[in-house]
Amino acid sequence: MVKANFNTKEEITWCPGCSNFMILEAVKRALASLGLKKEEVVMTTGIGCHGKIFDYIDIGGVYGLHGRPIPVAIGIKLGNPKLKVLTFAGDGDTYNEGISHFIHACRYNSDITLIVHDNRAFSLTTGQATATSQEGYKTKVEPKGEFLKPLNPISLALSSGASFVARVNAKNIEHTSKVLEEAIRHKGFSYVEVLQDCLIFNLEINNLDKLMYKVENRDNKERARKLAEEWNYDSKTGKIPIGIFYQEKRKTLEEEF
Amino acid sequence: MRLNVLIGGKAGQGINKISEIVANVLTSLGYFTFNYRDYGSLIRGGHNFNVLSVSNKRVGSIESKLDGIVALDDLTIEKHKIELKKGGFVISYKGFENFERNLNVALSGALIKVLGIDKDLLLKELRKELNVPNAIEAAEKGYESEEKKFNFGKLKNKIKIMSGTEGVVQGFINSKADWYFAYPMTPATGVLHELGLRQNGKHKVFQAENEISVVNMALGCSFSGKRVMVGTSGGGFDLMSESLSFQGMSEIPLVVYLASRPGPGTGVPTYSTQSDLNVALRAGHGEFPRIVIAPGDPIECVEKVNEAFYLSERFKCLAIILSDKHLAESEFSSDRKPNKVLDVKIERDLPGQKIVRASSYEHDERRHTTEKPEVVKRMQEKRLEKYEKIKNFLQRNKVEMIKIYGNKNAKNLVIGWGSTKTVILDALDAIDKSIETRKGKWKFLQVLYLKPLSDEIKEEIEKVQEKKGRVIVVENNATGQLGRLIREKTGLKVEKRILKYDSRPFRSDELAEELRGMGK
Ligand SMILES: Cc1ncc(C[n+]2csc(CCOP(=O)(O)OP(=O)(O)O)c2C)c(N)n1
Ligand SMILES: [Mg+2]
Repeated sequence: MVKANFNTKEEITWCPGCSNFMILEAVKRALASLGLKKEEVVMTTGIGCHGKIFDYIDIGGVYGLHGRPIPVAIGIKLGNPKLKVLTFAGDGDTYNEGISHFIHACRYNSDITLIVHDNRAFSLTTGQATATSQEGYKTKVEPKGEFLKPLNPISLALSSGASFVARVNAKNIEHTSKVLEEAIRHKGFSYVEVLQDCLIFNLEINNLDKLMYKVENRDNKERARKLAEEWNYDSKTGKIPIGIFYQEKRKTLEEEF
Repeated sequence: MRLNVLIGGKAGQGINKISEIVANVLTSLGYFTFNYRDYGSLIRGGHNFNVLSVSNKRVGSIESKLDGIVALDDLTIEKHKIELKKGGFVISYKGFENFERNLNVALSGALIKVLGIDKDLLLKELRKELNVPNAIEAAEKGYESEEKKFNFGKLKNKIKIMSGTEGVVQGFINSKADWYFAYPMTPATGVLHELGLRQNGKHKVFQAENEISVVNMALGCSFSGKRVMVGTSGGGFDLMSESLSFQGMSEIPLVVYLASRPGPGTGVPTYSTQSDLNVALRAGHGEFPRIVIAPGDPIECVEKVNEAFYLSERFKCLAIILSDKHLAESEFSSDRKPNKVLDVKIERDLPGQKIVRASSYEHDERRHTTEKPEVVKRMQEKRLEKYEKIKNFLQRNKVEMIKIYGNKNAKNLVIGWGSTKTVILDALDAIDKSIETRKGKWKFLQVLYLKPLSDEIKEEIEKVQEKKGRVIVVENNATGQLGRLIREKTGLKVEKRILKYDSRPFRSDELAEELRGMGK
């Protein structure tokens, strides 16, 4: 079988060296490795740097609104459960503008895959703080630094009932693509939080790689919770687990219908 | 011959059941009924009432003076006795208290007797529906407690009772629609409930976490190749605005059912208004085509929802069905069958078979993102061209964009839209039987398509103005939104307006008085 080539000819307008290139590569590898046909995979995207990926993968889909790619994806999946549906969203998209959709998607367990490009800033709007930006992050809005503590999206996903929860490092393309493969294969709502560097705005969060270590946990929710709490998105020390935090089998939204 | 009977009590006492039983019995005899429901935003207690208007001819409104009151509590009599005509009857709950949950059935029996209808018809109706123990006994006791006052004999009319909500549901089902997405909000909730209860594998219903999710799910689902509708009222519709604009850019077909209640803000949640025409016409940033249709009765709901599905799929555009509490929740009689159903075919490329792309970002014909000025201009024009295409299509296919009733050569022209249709018809007949005989001094122009607007509206107004006649716009809002739209589109100013914005519908006798005063 000839594996599909997911490249497009569109001009890529991410900053040179942006970690979005690595996420793009990992996604294409995962799709190719799963042997999926272009027509059977569709994506939805939010608005932000991450959303530009809509033009860079040769599959169909919907380039939606800021904060709303999740409900669009659920709608597609309800309409045609045979499709594989991937959602590319930013941290601003997912944890700020559209956080209600994120929480409810975890509950619904619609069989879609959510990939959050978490650069811990609203990068396309020039770097304001998001819900996962660290305390003290200095922006034009908050010259003295962000005064709020970040939320922990992994803990939130677990307590909201996500049936597949993972976190990866964008720079580790190999690992990211393997986790993405599992996420796409998972029957139910799979959530992959991708920690990515931003070379222009939230510089402080770059190069956390040395703190990261791989874990794999499946059906032990207690352990998943503990792993999630090992790092609070704020500290620059300690350990940052990456890998699959949790996976469970549960009836999907589409099966309910 | 026309009667108006008010049935009042506390929320939870089952006044709707009385209207329903009595209206069904009257329908089986060939009488037209119109049931108006007036209730506040509370679940138990308070004061709710229905007014059931009965006639041997078509009726679609209530009058301000009552022929009778059926009271399930004292408050009902206290509040409404001043509306009672001289010699009007009162049927009181007193003496029936021990029937408890069957109090309403007992009072139905009493009312049926007052109307002079055979007891067997009542019992037949009760057996059809109610299996509550002692209901029959209660009905019989009620029946025996009163004396005949009227004599409702058998007529030949074949009538069906339907609410606007049921009309919308029927239109949805006729269109072979696949999905309904909604978040509860009065007065759109009726459709959510009705479609929810009727899920049988042919269509599905999902209540999402909020209206923003609702409309985005709907767009996703439509993208995947399904016929999809969302339903909401003003506040929820506002939340959808950004996504309506997303529809405009992505050209994913979408049908929206907007049932209005008075705003601004939370407003008067369980009452009625026509104040959302502006927002239906304009919600969403940017410039993009859309269709806005306002049915005026339940049968038109059936037809227009089907047209909305057909047009939105054919032209890949937004189609809004604009209704309101009064149309959605009142129960109308009709002896007309809906027009032939349009077959809503999905003939576009679908994901799963092809690579299909849709975008909220400006894009070229291949739906790849662009910011090039020449492409932006071209695509903007391509989208806006649809407006003329839609209008031509509607005119070519003689889709009912307006309707004219009454004397074609009349000097007085009333213009209205949506739920005021039937009360205007009743008012004009009350003046001089203009509608019934088509010979009086009045005609009525009902606007069904608010966007696109029919060119005939301008012609009709000019015809009357040439004759030095009178043009009057009647609306259930405070600023005369249709009048302004007509002025915007035709350059003609309609001088006379009758506007009601106390959240209650027009009474036909009061409207007739006002019109009579203005007519030439
Ligand atoms: C409703 C709405 N609000 C605000 C914006 C402006 N906006 C565009 S991108 C963006 C931030 C995106 O941040 P994120 O989702 O983290 O994506 P990133 O650019 O960091 O990849 C915002 C606020 C918008 N497009 N729509
Ligand atoms: Mg971001």
